[in-house]
Amino acid sequence: MPYYRCVVPKDSVPYDQRAEVAKAFTDIHCGSTGAPRSFVHVVFDEHDDRWDTPYFLDGGNRAGRPEELKAQLLNDLMSAFREITGVSSDEFSGRITEGPASWTMEGGMVLPEPGEETAEWYEHDLQGQAAAGG
Amino acid sequence: MSRVSFSCTMQEGQVADDVRAELADGLRRITADVLGEAPGDIPVDFSDIPIGFGFRGGEPSTTSLVRGSIVGGVTQDVREDLMRRICDMWMELSGCTVDELVVSARDA
Repeated sequence: MPYYRCVVPKDSVPYDQRAEVAKAFTDIHCGSTGAPRSFVHVVFDEHDDRWDTPYFLDGGNRAGRPEELKAQLLNDLMSAFREITGVSSDEFSGRITEGPASWTMEGGMVLPEPGEETAEWYEHDLQGQAAAGG
Repeated sequence: MSRVSFSCTMQEGQVADDVRAELADGLRRITADVLGEAPGDIPVDFSDIPIGFGFRGGEPSTTSLVRGSIVGGVTQDVREDLMRRICDMWMELSGCTVDELVVSARDA
């Protein structure tokens, strides 16, 4: 977590834009929440089925952050996606759903609740980045 | 119909096809041990994220996600035991590292 799934029409977003969106989402999420970079997942799901809009951001985060922060986060993510891809506002919608941190294990550790992150958790993130060459 | 199911999402090329049946068996066995569910009834599905479509930390990802939907009301100790056993099994069979795996056990 966080897990951001971008549902997009087939062949609509080329690799360079996908990589740029992934970097932007990571920057925005980490800048907003202080979460380690290596915990931010972004995937693109090419889908021929129609949602309410052709492009859809389906995000999943740890529960427990203030409503204002969550709303700003979603707004910033969607703005970045639109800027990078050129998709218009009426073609793109999104949501962020939440679940308890304690329901997920990542890097062999149960995720801490927002605001309860320990130095050990951040240290593990640095080790993970080093192992990944990041 | 089982009250437990698993959805496994992997990066293309990271988990060999011939390992998946073993992974599914492992998930069913661990769930039976920890939660007492009948292993034969537990659905497990696998899907791949094509290369170039999955990112972690802004870089191409090699991470697999194992998402379990379980019956609600278990204690955190039980949930954690389930997730840890799944982590150990998945790493052993797939050869991934602990940093290439996310496991969740969410209330259905």
